[in-house]
Amino acid sequence: MSPSKDDKEHVFNRIPMLRAERGVSRRDLAAALGVHYQTIGYLERGEYSPSLHLALRIADYFEVPVEVVFSLAPFPRIGSTS
Amino acid sequence: MMNAKTHEGSGRWGEQRRKSQARRAERLQKMDAELERRLPARYARQRNRRIVASMGAGLLGLLWVDAAISWALAPSDTAMIANFVILGVLVVLGFPVAGQLIAITRGMIFKREHELDERQQLARLRAFSTAHKGTTTLIILATAATMFADGDDDLHVPSAALFLILFALLVTHALLPQVVATWQMPDPPAEDDEDLANANAGHTA
Repeated sequence: MSPSKDDKEHVFNRIPMLRAERGVSRRDLAAALGVHYQTIGYLERGEYSPSLHLALRIADYFEVPVEVVFSLAPFPRIGSTS
Repeated sequence: MMNAKTHEGSGRWGEQRRKSQARRAERLQKMDAELERRLPARYARQRNRRIVASMGAGLLGLLWVDAAISWALAPSDTAMIANFVILGVLVVLGFPVAGQLIAITRGMIFKREHELDERQQLARLRAFSTAHKGTTTLIILATAATMFADGDDDLHVPSAALFLILFALLVTHALLPQVVATWQMPDPPAEDDEDLANANAGHTA
């Protein structure tokens, strides 16, 4: 069974949380990655899925494995048991 | 000796090119910052962006109306007057609307590829792709119309109309991607502080 269009295109991410945790502004992150600051906003809103290269660079910037930042399934909320 | 001179020239040329690129990058950065500052907040809403895109499409359509009028009435004073009136309207309204379209898309269509990030490149590609379909349809229609007219002695195409058709085609080809890009643009993300607050509240996906 092939995944639906929404499943195929939706990549969940923790960029807002990681940014907030480390006190990094959207513009700072964009400057470090060499992208437009709105691109970070669209990524966070889930309206744009990054290339593998950009995803790896984002993970590298936050010094975490890529699966900590991106996932095909929604991330559990902090404090939830699942 | 010759090689040394060539290398020297190439080095100087390379240096000038680097300086020119750096100046352009600086200019673009200033322009982007200025655009962010001066772009009216109303363009954050899709409806308002699409109104400007529709105006752009309407002005492009006016060029085709001009060509059609010339075809039907040229050579005559009426055709000439109609032509000047329409071109006047296009000059007066076209430049401000084009300026707004470029500002809304942050010059995405006219920038060089390396000056855009991957999302902007994808958005531009999508706009070009849609506009390409539009211009292909227009070319097919224009070709069919002129061929049909050429085969019928009663439907002679005046040279003024032929020029205006080609001009309309050229302008449409150049500016339709800009109109399409404005139409397709998603709403800009919320301000940074608001998002940081959301992130702090535990909003993760």
